[in-house]
Amino acid sequence: MRYLRLLALFAQTELQFAMEYRANLVLDLFEEVIIVVSSLVAVLVLFSRTGVVNGWTEQEMIVLLGVYYVIQGAQAVIFEMSFERFMEHVRLGTLDFILIKPVNSQFVVSARHVQVPQLGQLLLGLVLVGAGVREAGTALGMLELVEFVVALVCGLSLVYCLLLVLSTLAFWFVRVENLLAIFWSFVDAGRFPVDIYPGWLRVTLSTVVPIGIAVTVPAQAITGRLDALGLLSILLGTVVVWVFASWFWRLGLRNYTGASA
Amino acid sequence: MWRIYRTLFVAEFQQAAQYRIQSLLWLLFAVIRPVIFLAAWAAAANAQGGRIADYTVGDFAAYYVCLSLVSQLARSWDAYDFEFEVRQGKLAPKLLRPLHPLHYAVVANLVYKATTLPVLLPVLVLISLTFQAHFLTQPWHVALFVPSVLLAAALQFMFGWFVAAFAFWTTRIHAIMHLYDRLVFLFAGQIAPLSLLPGPLAALSYVLPFGYMLWAPTEILRGGLAIEQALIVMAVQTAWLVVSWIAFVVVWRLGLRQFSAVGA
Repeated sequence: MRYLRLLALFAQTELQFAMEYRANLVLDLFEEVIIVVSSLVAVLVLFSRTGVVNGWTEQEMIVLLGVYYVIQGAQAVIFEMSFERFMEHVRLGTLDFILIKPVNSQFVVSARHVQVPQLGQLLLGLVLVGAGVREAGTALGMLELVEFVVALVCGLSLVYCLLLVLSTLAFWFVRVENLLAIFWSFVDAGRFPVDIYPGWLRVTLSTVVPIGIAVTVPAQAITGRLDALGLLSILLGTVVVWVFASWFWRLGLRNYTGASA
Repeated sequence: MWRIYRTLFVAEFQQAAQYRIQSLLWLLFAVIRPVIFLAAWAAAANAQGGRIADYTVGDFAAYYVCLSLVSQLARSWDAYDFEFEVRQGKLAPKLLRPLHPLHYAVVANLVYKATTLPVLLPVLVLISLTFQAHFLTQPWHVALFVPSVLLAAALQFMFGWFVAAFAFWTTRIHAIMHLYDRLVFLFAGQIAPLSLLPGPLAALSYVLPFGYMLWAPTEILRGGLAIEQALIVMAVQTAWLVVSWIAFVVVWRLGLRQFSAVGA
């Protein structure tokens, strides 16, 4: 509860900060719309030539694209800027000021710089999911909805854990922007279902850079294509990865000696 | 001029040797996006019995392998650098030197491409094998590809500088750059070979300059164009190059006049 209140506070201060540059804020939102719309056009072009891609219909593919932007948006809202600042803190030695605060340091580092404008991407993603599901016309039961939410939370957690582990490496190597750049270059691949890719890429997108399953599984859930086994394995995988990531974070923290002191 | 360029080349090569990992990372971006759309079209073609219009899975593979090569050879990222220089006040000292900033960028571009090519080629061979790419390339295609990719590189370079010059007025041009990036995404043949786009979108793509930055040399190298078509395409490339050159010169002059260095 306390953490939710803190999160709201972070969001509020960061929003005030963003409001200072209003023109920039408007342009940011405009940009998000352009990005989502052009990605939608790409899917429509693909389906102007075929009715189905690897068992995915056009409507299901739009749902998947929506999930991609929900995950991508949520990630950008909470984590992206926070981790970027965290690495700067490590480099400059200002991380000490965060560590002495009486809250869980992993929480503050992960969520301090909430980017409210990025909510636009998330909302546009939800719109796509809604539109795709309605067009598909399949009956949406309570079960699918619950599965969808669970899978979505798992997917986002997987992405979060990867970001946390990569950022934690900053404790040893200080400069890890390049590692994060590798992650970003793969993220683009999340816009299509992971099963269309050739072996090496599919494996990468399901393990090392799990954006593939993070997007595909929730989309399968809401379109009623996910079986219990699939849901169970993503749940189990998430728990394991989460435990490892926070253990790794504590390990890194113990290794941190400050930069200026 | 020759001596100046030689010195710049040496300096730039030394710099490139310093940031080896970073340039390899940019390569990843040049490969991943084409592979994404290749995988999607390959899956679509398989669903349609192995071919869509003139393209079989092998043709798509050849197209996207060529696209990846072209986007690496023709890409230029100067606008991003330029915004940074304007914002940090680093442009002013460069303007004082007797050489136009353009020349530094030309050298940086050439060196970057020369140093990353040896890594890109084996990766592309690997992708060609995975998807069993089917090239229709004749020797004259290769002969036309060389000037065509040079035109594409020059066009991207000039157009990029034209966009970048707006930083004189706005300092931050990230939004403009992203818009440019998305236009390239839609119209340059990344989401599909231009002939597969639905009617109005295809018509627009053939008119706008973006297709001539990537699609034109790609399709020539793949061997997808007849000789007359290839020559017409290259004529349009030249036309757009001239237009963006003029546009850049005009915008640069106007911008320079009202540029007041940041932080200087």
